[in-house]
Amino acid sequence: MASLSAIGLVDTSEWINDLVLVSAFSRVQFDGAPWVLVLATIAVPTIGGAIVGLITTRLIRERRPLGPPDTIFAVQTRKKPPSLKSGIMSTIAALVSLGAGASVGQYGPLVYLGTLTGSLVNRIKFGIGDIQAVAISCGVAAAISTAFNAPITGLIFAHEVILRHYSLRAFASVTVASATGYVIANVIFDRPSLFRVEFAGVEHGYEFLLFAVEGVLAALLAVSFMKLILMSSALASKFPIRSQWLRPAIAGLILGIVALQIPEVLGIGKEALRFATIGGAFEINELAILVIAKTVLTALCIGFGFAGGIFSPALLIGILGGALFGMVWPILLPLDNSGIVPYAICGMMAVTSPVIGAPLTTILVVFELTRNYDLTIAAMVAVVFSNLVSAPLFGRSLFDRQLNNNFDFDLSEGRDKAILRLEYISKYMSQDYITVRADDNIATLKTTLAHHNRSEAAIIDSNGRFQASIDLQDVVELSDDTKLSQVKCPDKLTFDENTSLWDGFELVQNFIGESIPIVDSASAKLLGVITEGGIIAAYMSTVHELRREENETV
Amino acid sequence: MKRSSFLFCLWLLSVFPVTSMAMAETLSVVSWGDTYEKAQNATIFKPFSISSGVTVNVVKYSGSIDGLVKRAESGGWDVIDMTEDQAIRACEQGLLIRLNPEEIIIPYRNTDIEEDFMPGSFRDCSIAHSVYSSVVAFDERAFKGEKPEQIADFFDLKRFPGKRAIRRDPSDILEWAMIAEGIPIRQVYDLLSTERGMRVAFARLETIRDQIVWWDKPQEAAKLLAEGKVSMAAGFNDGFFDLANEKNMPITIIWDAQIMDYAVWAIPASSKNIELGKQFIGFATTIDRMAELAEHIPYGPSRMSAFGRVGRHWKSQVQMREHLPNSSSNYKRALRRQSYWYTRTSALRHRRFNSWLRNRK
Repeated sequence: MASLSAIGLVDTSEWINDLVLVSAFSRVQFDGAPWVLVLATIAVPTIGGAIVGLITTRLIRERRPLGPPDTIFAVQTRKKPPSLKSGIMSTIAALVSLGAGASVGQYGPLVYLGTLTGSLVNRIKFGIGDIQAVAISCGVAAAISTAFNAPITGLIFAHEVILRHYSLRAFASVTVASATGYVIANVIFDRPSLFRVEFAGVEHGYEFLLFAVEGVLAALLAVSFMKLILMSSALASKFPIRSQWLRPAIAGLILGIVALQIPEVLGIGKEALRFATIGGAFEINELAILVIAKTVLTALCIGFGFAGGIFSPALLIGILGGALFGMVWPILLPLDNSGIVPYAICGMMAVTSPVIGAPLTTILVVFELTRNYDLTIAAMVAVVFSNLVSAPLFGRSLFDRQLNNNFDFDLSEGRDKAILRLEYISKYMSQDYITVRADDNIATLKTTLAHHNRSEAAIIDSNGRFQASIDLQDVVELSDDTKLSQVKCPDKLTFDENTSLWDGFELVQNFIGESIPIVDSASAKLLGVITEGGIIAAYMSTVHELRREENETV
Repeated sequence: MKRSSFLFCLWLLSVFPVTSMAMAETLSVVSWGDTYEKAQNATIFKPFSISSGVTVNVVKYSGSIDGLVKRAESGGWDVIDMTEDQAIRACEQGLLIRLNPEEIIIPYRNTDIEEDFMPGSFRDCSIAHSVYSSVVAFDERAFKGEKPEQIADFFDLKRFPGKRAIRRDPSDILEWAMIAEGIPIRQVYDLLSTERGMRVAFARLETIRDQIVWWDKPQEAAKLLAEGKVSMAAGFNDGFFDLANEKNMPITIIWDAQIMDYAVWAIPASSKNIELGKQFIGFATTIDRMAELAEHIPYGPSRMSAFGRVGRHWKSQVQMREHLPNSSSNYKRALRRQSYWYTRTSALRHRRFNSWLRNRK
């Protein structure tokens, strides 16, 4: 199902491309009427942008297009993904964006389409616990496998980017989904694969050193690309235009104007992708301009709210950058080389890998699409160096940064921490505590505590607000008729309703006492308490649950 | 009483077209002349006359739209054999009538005609009847050891030296130049649509410029090869087939990257015999007629059910199926010409081609 809808999305957007003169194939047929082309080039992305803007702001509850970060969040936290309606509208917005030639990718929307299908399946109750993550991953794998015509890539992508763990249960189902997608794409519909290159082999050992250098440079390109996207989003939100829906239209207008000079910036640029591996198709300066234009315009389109992914623009920027590298270094360093093909492919993967945070996927996609062992090894070297450089500079991927910015969900220090940070301690609190009023005296406190066999109580003022927690030790030296409000209690640890299990666990390490009060941050009312043991139990159960998921068999 | 009068009406209805057919004495069918026309005459025109009593008046034309505009009405043309791209253009200019295959084609048993015919056979004003192709052929005598096998070899002067015969026209050769660059067949037209694609194609062509012998008339391609003036030639598959089959020359066709075209039937808007013309097309596309035509000339029937019936060449007894462009082994790496694209980009391609011819780098 995910696979079929993926084919549908790709074909429909291509059909729109032909219809509205975005594709080169349709443009060249208007050779005799240049003004039609000029008009279409400017009007189509602009109007497309306005439509996308309207859909996003009026029909999607989240008021932004959905993408892989939403998928990752839903899978990791087992929260429900955004509603079906938002998902469908987001897909339509992506279709319009791609159709109108926005410089965005198709795989992001495909991943979300896979998520949508997966979560639909999840609605059917199978009586199997927490199947959502697996169902969604299956959808994603099928969509990617279909789009790339590469089942292993689909499988690894779903694990590396979405699931982030390898349990047999997930692995088995995702493999089946991925293979199904491949069968549908390849056997039933006979889809062409993204690219095929003829490549004899890497001829010289020293070229591997160059691949590593290329990886480092690619990382810098990838980091600038991602930073530009974040900057462009920030810029868009500060943009002095009240109607939010006009933002994509502005990006579309700029895109259209640039496209008059450089038509390759329109759409996902499959023609440019193809030419990058053909020596002599591009001049060096053309490549340089195109890399810059594509990077900036993609950041602009994404930041200003066109719906679409970053995967395919990263592939394109990477392959063009790689071809550029392959053309420039022999000038600086006159040595024999194996042509621009390996450099183009390495560049493609070395830029893409840090952007989507998937080194294994990008290595395997080379293997699957080119079936060329030499190229795969070359890409592997470049990808690894690229990730090594980009991780400290930017983080694991753009998705993870977006998750951090939009959801305050930080996967950079592992799944455990990210999920523990999302679990609130208040979920585990107990109502088993003693309260005393601030105008009570110590005698009352003592009898109450003795009656309940406790040594600690919470002081509440006349408005029901929490004042402090008081311990028998605090009052041993005071006379019985001292008012509790006059007692100086040492500051003790309190939590509020937003304290996460992670923070709680860190803080409780220095805590001595019976239980920790959880106080509402707004009303200062006491919500409940949690004991040290309670925190440890909650921590352990969450971590155990994660481990169980990661080790599930069937 | 009522029942018998009803039957009488039915009888009238069924007989009427036949009688009206008999009254129209002649039907003007326009075709290409030469071997092709002879083959059509033997396998379609004569049998049609015999079965319907209509005299078929065969007119020869060059295939251009100009000819259609000038001569169709004055010459009383009724049915025309056209290339698909010309038919599309003529249809857009309103020179042809619209055809509904459902009412023209006689179905074979219960097969759906849409499925029986090759994809894209039915256009607004035309019905494809045969598949022919542009291919590259080589002279076995020119290459003693390794033989060329794929289109890239046509551009490889190192491994396969010798002159190349190419049509002086921007069709076919640009596509082949792209495929020789390693571009997948499916993407050829997408990439050729870009300025860069054109540049890549012409750059490839530049590498063999000095070895090109240009030809203008289709027969010349085979002739150049036969006379040993070139070692490889690009041309239509029937010319090469004739050389090998009828003149026993050691000529081999490279089917890799063959560019397939449809020959189509169409009816000019000026025809006075439209109904009869439709009946003719129906007759000409019956599977027996199609199969028999393919036993005379190596043009594949556009109809699957007819393809299965093709047997041996009527004279040389060569098994014909393997010599047809749409046989399963030849079809594997075929490029189907995108006729709409072709029609629309004709001016651009000619402009680029002529400027390339003039400006030697």
